[in-house]
Amino acid sequence: MTRPTVGPSRPWIFPTPRVDQLRTGLTVWRFELPGQHIATFELVLPRSLSAEPTSKEGVGTVALHAVDEGTSSHPDGEIGELLEAQGATLHGSARHQYTTFGGQSPSRRLPEVLPLFAEVLREPDYAERDVAHHVEAQIAAHQSRLASPGAASRMALRRELYGPEQRAGRPASGSPATLVQLTPDDARAWHSETFTPVGATLIVAGALPDEWLEFDWAGGPAPSEAATVPPRKPGRIVVLDRPGAVQATIVAGCRTVTRDDPRWPALRIAGHALAGAFASRLNLDLRERLAYSYGVSGGFSAGPVEGQFTVAGSVRSETAADAVARILDAVALGVGLSEAEVESARRYLIDVAPLANETSADIVAQASALAAAGVAPDYLTGHLRDLAGISADEATDAFRSTVRPDDLAVAIAGDAATLVPALTTAGLAATVVSL
Amino acid sequence: MSEAELNYELVVDTLPNGLQVAVSPDPAAPGVAVNLWVAVGSADEEPGRTGFAHLFEHLMFQGSAAVASGEHMATIEGLGGTVNATTSSDRTNYFETVPRSALDLALWLEADRLASLAITPENFEAQRQVVKEEKRQRYDNQPYGDLLELLTAQHFDPAHPYGHLTIGSMADLDAASLDDVAGFFERWYRPSNIRLVLCGPVTPDEGLELARRRLGHLPKLSAPSRATMPVVSGPEPHTTSVTRAVPHSLAYLSWRTPPAHHPDHLALDLALAILSDGHASRLHRSLVKRRDVANEVHSATLTNRSASSIATVLGRPSDDVPIPALADAILAELAAFIDGGPREEELARAVAQYERDWLWELATTTGRADAINESWLLHGDPQRVNTHLAEIVALSCDDVRRAAGRWLSPDDAYQLHYHAEDAR
Repeated sequence: MTRPTVGPSRPWIFPTPRVDQLRTGLTVWRFELPGQHIATFELVLPRSLSAEPTSKEGVGTVALHAVDEGTSSHPDGEIGELLEAQGATLHGSARHQYTTFGGQSPSRRLPEVLPLFAEVLREPDYAERDVAHHVEAQIAAHQSRLASPGAASRMALRRELYGPEQRAGRPASGSPATLVQLTPDDARAWHSETFTPVGATLIVAGALPDEWLEFDWAGGPAPSEAATVPPRKPGRIVVLDRPGAVQATIVAGCRTVTRDDPRWPALRIAGHALAGAFASRLNLDLRERLAYSYGVSGGFSAGPVEGQFTVAGSVRSETAADAVARILDAVALGVGLSEAEVESARRYLIDVAPLANETSADIVAQASALAAAGVAPDYLTGHLRDLAGISADEATDAFRSTVRPDDLAVAIAGDAATLVPALTTAGLAATVVSL
Repeated sequence: MSEAELNYELVVDTLPNGLQVAVSPDPAAPGVAVNLWVAVGSADEEPGRTGFAHLFEHLMFQGSAAVASGEHMATIEGLGGTVNATTSSDRTNYFETVPRSALDLALWLEADRLASLAITPENFEAQRQVVKEEKRQRYDNQPYGDLLELLTAQHFDPAHPYGHLTIGSMADLDAASLDDVAGFFERWYRPSNIRLVLCGPVTPDEGLELARRRLGHLPKLSAPSRATMPVVSGPEPHTTSVTRAVPHSLAYLSWRTPPAHHPDHLALDLALAILSDGHASRLHRSLVKRRDVANEVHSATLTNRSASSIATVLGRPSDDVPIPALADAILAELAAFIDGGPREEELARAVAQYERDWLWELATTTGRADAINESWLLHGDPQRVNTHLAEIVALSCDDVRRAAGRWLSPDDAYQLHYHAEDAR
């Protein structure tokens, strides 16, 4: 039977939220999504973790995780019981540049859930026992990341990209040495300076109830801190020694531009063609052709002040040196991207947008990244339009002018006794480091 | 209105070749989910031939008469779709979600590989290596990577169909021949062993007509017979202790529970949620918050279609608390729960949390199509997606207590003590 043809896809635009500025200073983006039984809400707090006291790094993460253990009105876990009774769950993440805190519940239960969420923000208890528990949990999580080859290599990459002397080069959730020093007073101090509505954005999406809800949460402005970008460092290859490991877990990356750079749409297409798709150059080479790996992934991601380009994959140890050489070679982009490669990437990135924004959580995740970067909610619609106009030459030129192989840091968790000599033979100098 | 009253339209038909089709229209959805469940999983493999069901998850993307190797995935991605496959003990699942305009092409791609899969020496050898890398990445090179294997071994003899992991063993993958693999495909990948669910902006008439046009020509062959499931004759409840280079020790308790379709599973899910889901749960409150015996407690269920399933409770002990002491503390809480049953508010919380999780599973056409296929395989009825939540809401405290008492008795607990090498 002959292959069916595929017609043009339906044009799609990112939903437009209703934007309200509350008198408390909080900005609210409301996305009305009829038919979404599950609502998602998220608060974007723009404070950077570089504001943490150096000796108490991780306080942002501990405060965030302990915040919903109890409130003045509902201490000792009672607030959690009230939230759970409404089918709600809360979660958050303290990232280097900003913190998000939100949750999910059935849409119809939002009128009961959002006041409880506001109570958590307004009057957290930070009981001694709860803070101690979350300090322990973060130390344990740190140890688990060190033991996981994927997480450890990403930690090493971050340190290589920013340097251990920079906050951005150190783990967002602190280290055992700093975590162990944290007290409830530290969590309270961080909370009062960070969890404030002035400058924050609350994003809510779902089949929202007709009446809008009072969001009773006030507070003063957060201390203002100018966003800073640490100086860049030359790239190098580092190995985290895992004697006897049967695979080498590789992550390579560099710091790049962000959404406001005119090359951004072209870079996203180039990154997808190189490492993002199943049929990307690197996946076809390392998985499909050579069978070195279960898969290679990567591409560009944007943050509020700068972006990152990364490529990651695990390969069996004896092929690692060749795999690294091939990654570096691919990133040099000696052969420019073809029109077919770019057409495929362009079409994927544009046409997958409706699927990638199907749920309330998808919309909120996208909107929250935009709010954190100070970008308006209609950004995505314009971005999709920009993607449609990118040519193969533009994608190639943008990539070559932004990602230089010499800037690339490569972190490999694996058996150093196998990896280092093999890398040396391949003409690649590697340094063994520990975290 | 209670959200428990779900009413997703669902029309079911069987093609003359035996392939069953269900269409669930959702005009507002952004794409159509095309979800194929082939009723073959690792439980259908023979001893010494493990890993075959999962291997097809890979081979099925390596090309067919009119489709080049890798082209299926690249084509769907290039059209703005998502595509993948998964394998369990009981089924292999191929799924793509595509823009409406690409539905016909997606079905054509499925038909081409079912009719003429390219099982060539080159494809086989390459994917055998890729699967071995997958095993290394997921199991052999991860801390706690052997937990699932140890747990399985506690409950099933190695020769039992559920006694091995879906990924298979390196030795069996190495020993597999091209004929073995081709024979496996011939036996299991028949229209009469496949269910197709379409979910999204497509009417039942259109969906059924497209399925007939694209898949109706596949040959009519009798449905493969599954081997009779042997009675589970694995070891009686016991304790296994291992020591590994991992950061934290763990206590892993588990119980044999009934097959996945058994009605007690719903009550067991609620019992486990009340015990260990979230900060308001009994075990968390008692062992983590009040007594400092554990640092975290979680639960999970591994369901099997044709033999006993496994319910688990996992605890990470606090410093200086020996694993047996934590295990005893968990079992004591469990005994009290079985004795008194849940309180009404505990049950209400667990039901509310279950409702959110279930609605979330149905929130995308991809997830909904998968839930429909799961209901179809396990219960023989795809319509169960509409009544599932109502069944949960109807459960009483006594139902939950009875199910916990029957299946989670402390005396029936299997224990896996997973010691960290350098634990104090």
